[in-house]
Amino acid sequence: MVESFSLVVFFGAAIRLAVPLALAALGESITERSGVLNIGIEGSMIAGALCAALAALKWSSILLGMVFGALGGGLVALVFAIFVLGLNTDQIITGTATTLAGLGFTGALYQARFGMTGSVITLPVLRSFEVPILGDLPILGPIFFQQSVTVYLVYLLIPTLWYLLFNTSWGLELRSVGESPEVAEEAGIRVLLVRFIAIVSGGLMAGLAGAHLALDSGTFIENMSGGRGFIAIAVVVLGRWNPVWIAIAAVFFGAASALQFVFQSLGSNLPFPLFLMLPYLLTLIALSGWFGRAKAPAALTLPWPTKGR
Amino acid sequence: MESTRERTVLLKIAKKKTMISLTLILAMMSCRDIGVEGGRNDNEVPSFGVALLTSGPVSDAGWYGSAYEGIQLIEERFGARISHQQTNTPAEFDEVLRAYATSGYSLIFAHGFEYQDAAVRVGQEFPEVTIVVSSGGRVADNVIPLIFELEEGSYMAGVVAAKMTKSGTIGMVGGVAIPPAEATFVGFEAGAMSVDPEVQVLVNWIGSWDDVAMAKEAAVTLIRRGVDVLIHNTDAASFGVFQAVREARESGVEVWAMGMNRDQNDVASEVILGSAIIRIPEAFVQIATLWSEGQLTPGEAHYAGGRSGAADYVVNPNLSDKYDPELIAEIDSIRLGIADGLIAVPRIEFLERAGGSF
Repeated sequence: MVESFSLVVFFGAAIRLAVPLALAALGESITERSGVLNIGIEGSMIAGALCAALAALKWSSILLGMVFGALGGGLVALVFAIFVLGLNTDQIITGTATTLAGLGFTGALYQARFGMTGSVITLPVLRSFEVPILGDLPILGPIFFQQSVTVYLVYLLIPTLWYLLFNTSWGLELRSVGESPEVAEEAGIRVLLVRFIAIVSGGLMAGLAGAHLALDSGTFIENMSGGRGFIAIAVVVLGRWNPVWIAIAAVFFGAASALQFVFQSLGSNLPFPLFLMLPYLLTLIALSGWFGRAKAPAALTLPWPTKGR
Repeated sequence: MESTRERTVLLKIAKKKTMISLTLILAMMSCRDIGVEGGRNDNEVPSFGVALLTSGPVSDAGWYGSAYEGIQLIEERFGARISHQQTNTPAEFDEVLRAYATSGYSLIFAHGFEYQDAAVRVGQEFPEVTIVVSSGGRVADNVIPLIFELEEGSYMAGVVAAKMTKSGTIGMVGGVAIPPAEATFVGFEAGAMSVDPEVQVLVNWIGSWDDVAMAKEAAVTLIRRGVDVLIHNTDAASFGVFQAVREARESGVEVWAMGMNRDQNDVASEVILGSAIIRIPEAFVQIATLWSEGQLTPGEAHYAGGRSGAADYVVNPNLSDKYDPELIAEIDSIRLGIADGLIAVPRIEFLERAGGSF
């Protein structure tokens, strides 16, 4: 009894903690597949959280919260895209600025709306609901199928993105732009358009991740994204730019956080940052190339059109 | 040869561009740090300058927000010129302290344990400036730790928790495991043990003060482990703890939450039994009063606890019917006992004289 109880608690927590990471990482993988590294998704995430909170507060609607959360994240990514694609600025620096601007701007907006010393806002909350039949499965049911709607959204996104990436002409165009924009252009693909769509899609999904954070905890606070945008970038690497592996990698990062809570509540004295370090260690190992190929899209972070052309 | 040269030139350009962009980023960051400059518009000349440093947003309706209310009160009472800045990285601590010290702010509140070393360094450079470090652990002639004896309030909360629990298991969700936060949990545990030595106390640290999602998940884990009264010592992350308790109650599990630092009873008034509090604004005003009268003892920590009414436990009026009248009477007598020194609340000593042991 105790053992199955701990398993359910642990994996249930791992899945819940993985959701925002998975949403943001799946989006980021699309962006990266097009050859653009957007480290500004933390900015998209916090904007998504604020927009979701404001919309949910105004209309008392979870659905509108999620829609506006996604739009908020997409809008921030749009700004990033204008700089990176339109002005051909450095992706890393633009991404850093996007994150900082996003955190600062949302904080300023929040303080302007709710006062300098803040007030607690209470939002409608994502409810977990049981999937018929599947939810009754022993152990697996409570872990995977008694969760909130965002969890099921991730389940749907994994095969959808996988199909789009590897079985459609859009996926082929996306990947070829990410590998070699020159060749793609020769083949008649509009490189900048493909990248634009990829960046904004990534932003929309990071916004959804932010919306999940706000609507799951029922409130908004400044900096509530807590660096998850950056963790999502590590998740993409560990997941090797493949939706299925990314989802698994996200659960792994979620599990590392969940593990610290389970261990602490069991009264263990192990220092808990140890668990938090594990997934990063694995990311480094994945990058090392010792275990198979973990190759980033060849044109990732490279400016295009190439300078001086 | 040609291509190497070209590359070097490109590299130089790239470096230059990076520098410019970094400067821009830094400029943006510092824009974000500029708080609201207070100051009164009437003709009265401000008597002195009071500054506040926080490492989190003052919009948290908690630890940082109370500090901001504190300097607002000082502005009101003394007509002082006030200013606030939020620091984001330890590298900024010294710089912001120095900036205030050189621009006429003679009383600086550095609101958090994390500022203690920077305060000692900058304090040495500006002996005429007084720096008050909330929960600080290091003392110098002009660096005064302001020690909130929150463990006294949480001791009382522990008594209540042990009386209220049905499962015999109570829990705590903590932010970062620093001595002042650990002290509150030691107090909570001691209070609970004084009622029932068999009570089990579980702790979960989340490693952050304002990560709501992590706090919620930590609380869920504790509740599933059988905890039915849950206290926290976090900042804005506490909303996650309350949310977890709320959801557990909705699914039919009887769990209660408790507030900490500030009177949080109205934050989730249907699930919070009461709050262990420190009256930060009042403590700030008290310090400003002593300081302006020259009564603030140099080189000594200032304690704000039960004796001065700065630390307390506040029953949530909404849920006062959940309390036995006897329990209410007991809380009152414990409050008196702490103030008179009859009840010894265990403490964690973390004071240290700058440049040597204390």
